[in-house]
Amino acid sequence: MKKQLIHIKGTKDGLVLRLDDQCSFTELVEELGKKVTDGHLDGKIDVQLHLGKRYCTQEQKDQLTGIVEQQQKLCVKKIQSDVITLEESQKLLETSRFETFVGIVRSGQTIRVTGDILVLGDVNPNGRIEAGGNVHIAGKLKGIVHAGMDGNEQAIVSASHFEPTHILIGNYVEVMTNESQYILENTDQIFAYLGENNVIAYDRIQEIRNVRPNLSTFKGGS
Amino acid sequence: MSDEELLFSKNTDDTGAQTATLYKEGAANVGEAIVITSGKGGVGKTTTTANLGTALALQGKKVCLVDTDIGLRNLDVILGLENRIIYDLVDVIEGRCKMHQALVKDKRVDERLYLMPAAQNTDKNAINPEQMKVLIDELKREFDYILIDCPAGIEQGYRNAVAGADRAIVVTTPEISAVRDADRIIGLLEQEPIEPPKLIINRIRKSLMNNGDAMDITEVTTHLSIDLLGIIVDSEDVISSSNKGEPIVMNPNNKASLGYRNIARRILGDSVPLMSLEDDQPKGVFAKLKALFK
Repeated sequence: MKKQLIHIKGTKDGLVLRLDDQCSFTELVEELGKKVTDGHLDGKIDVQLHLGKRYCTQEQKDQLTGIVEQQQKLCVKKIQSDVITLEESQKLLETSRFETFVGIVRSGQTIRVTGDILVLGDVNPNGRIEAGGNVHIAGKLKGIVHAGMDGNEQAIVSASHFEPTHILIGNYVEVMTNESQYILENTDQIFAYLGENNVIAYDRIQEIRNVRPNLSTFKGGS
Repeated sequence: MSDEELLFSKNTDDTGAQTATLYKEGAANVGEAIVITSGKGGVGKTTTTANLGTALALQGKKVCLVDTDIGLRNLDVILGLENRIIYDLVDVIEGRCKMHQALVKDKRVDERLYLMPAAQNTDKNAINPEQMKVLIDELKREFDYILIDCPAGIEQGYRNAVAGADRAIVVTTPEISAVRDADRIIGLLEQEPIEPPKLIINRIRKSLMNNGDAMDITEVTTHLSIDLLGIIVDSEDVISSSNKGEPIVMNPNNKASLGYRNIARRILGDSVPLMSLEDDQPKGVFAKLKALFK
């Protein structure tokens, strides 16, 4: 008997098509074409494609999506693969890296990181931190911080003493005028995030868990 | 113990003593170069250089003051040595004269205080940091302390001044603009292969600080987070003595003078408590009463 190249599984989120990762791509395309046309399917159905340990280029992914979506009723929601390229993994590693800077970022100095950064020290006026991810300052923030430099609008800036001159998140800038300082009332343990209508908002550090619950990377508990 | 063993132990002792003396000779011949800088102009770098140099010389050290503000020299004026300059720093570096020919001796502190004046008719780009380092290293062989007066700014002149230094002193006043520039310069100094810089807060006015109109000492030191070397109170006598060409430290009965003397002692390694800003006489009725019942 010929080996089954495609397994179909029904879940409450729709159909999961598990594609074999050992056969050739042309074989797979052929088999997929057959599988999706001979089914007796009712109503609109969401489909997830699981590629296993097969690496597909974007072109190949588009081709697979195209075949499935020939059938008007099927809609590909997600393509999942267990493998990524070295380049992608490197990029992922860079953006998820957590750097620690110990010292004082003084006037005219810029600290630039691809991921998150923890500054153990002060950021003085005209000192600048630029990060692809979040910025945490366990000291006085009196300078300029740019979080989520590559457009990550979920990034936050937190500081134990929050008195910056400028805050940038993603592509949005906030100049800290006297009025915005006034809103803060106190300057201790504050964080900044991009709130509704793309306006930079502030709150107590304790509120991070409500505003950005996904920020937590800690697994487990007691 | 056998003779052989004795001989052996004696030998090691000898060589040990020899290396110790060698090291001592080397140490005695190498002075320390301290650059005095601020970033901002007009905060009192030159006055501080002149006074610290004189104070160190009064303490019995052999001191050379080097003015690196080429084109805008005035350390010589403050020391009152203006009309005794024959050669200058650029002449030495370009080989037009020997080093000792350019050094101007201050006769008030016998044989211990010398000035290496800056050139006035050329600009800061006439010399480079490598040449400066060679000169400072040569001076270090003859003097205990070399104080380098740095020009304002962070360009060529600053790089020349820092090149030969082992330590740095940052001068600031309790004004935000001066503190900002000090912060910048400290950031640059921290990248140099020298000891962490020390801070002098100059021109302190007690009344302004008490009213909260000027930054107070703790505000400045916590902002810059470097060690405080000393404070100098504002005094009109500093200006008048500079105009006379006689550093204020020559006058022992002045608070600014005492501040400079204290800093000189700290440079020499003494631990001197920070000067109190309070007046000696207690003010107000209660304070007077309290003093009465002590």
